[in-house]
Amino acid sequence: MPLCNRHLSPLQRRSIQLFGANLTLTAVLTMGAHEFYKQAHPAVVFVYLLAGVLTIPVIGVIVVAGRYLKRETDEFIRMMVVQSLLWGLGVTFAMDTFLGGLFAFPEIYRLIPILNLDLFCVTCGFALRIQLWRNR
Amino acid sequence: MKNRLRVLRAERGWSQADLAARLEVSRQSVNAIETGKFDPSLPLAFRLARLFEATIESIFVEDGAPTEQGPAKPEV
Repeated sequence: MPLCNRHLSPLQRRSIQLFGANLTLTAVLTMGAHEFYKQAHPAVVFVYLLAGVLTIPVIGVIVVAGRYLKRETDEFIRMMVVQSLLWGLGVTFAMDTFLGGLFAFPEIYRLIPILNLDLFCVTCGFALRIQLWRNR
Repeated sequence: MKNRLRVLRAERGWSQADLAARLEVSRQSVNAIETGKFDPSLPLAFRLARLFEATIESIFVEDGAPTEQGPAKPEV
């Protein structure tokens, strides 16, 4: 099965590593930003700057996905990856809409600390696994 | 789109993995093309035709296209 550890091409292995690095960066930046907000009470301009910094891993994931799709020579694998990315986007948008509906109720909303990028990457991974299994 | 890939491959005694290696694609790609789940791009179709020393039209048949047995029946 392609995209399993044994059969990964160098491009696939590198892309998965970069995905992982971006996810780790998201976790570190998000936790760091929350701590910074709580303890330093920064000026508004720093809040905006920090919010901008938080988008770096999101842009990074898009760049990694684009780079992979551009370089992947197997068109069937490429098609499955594109479909998985669409599943990831769809589930993330749906969850965002759902959470948006709960935004008016802070006591419920606070209980669901899900990051968009985590949800997107996990959904993409599941969708790709299912597609690889269906086309094994 | 229907195709004769499985027949052509069997005539040469190649496995799906053999054909995939010759085409430099994954075995899943070959399987998906053979089962009609996936239509290859024109460059890949040309590579297949070159590999089997045949024309693209002799490997791939459009759904509903007339065959040697006569024109296809219209869909009801």
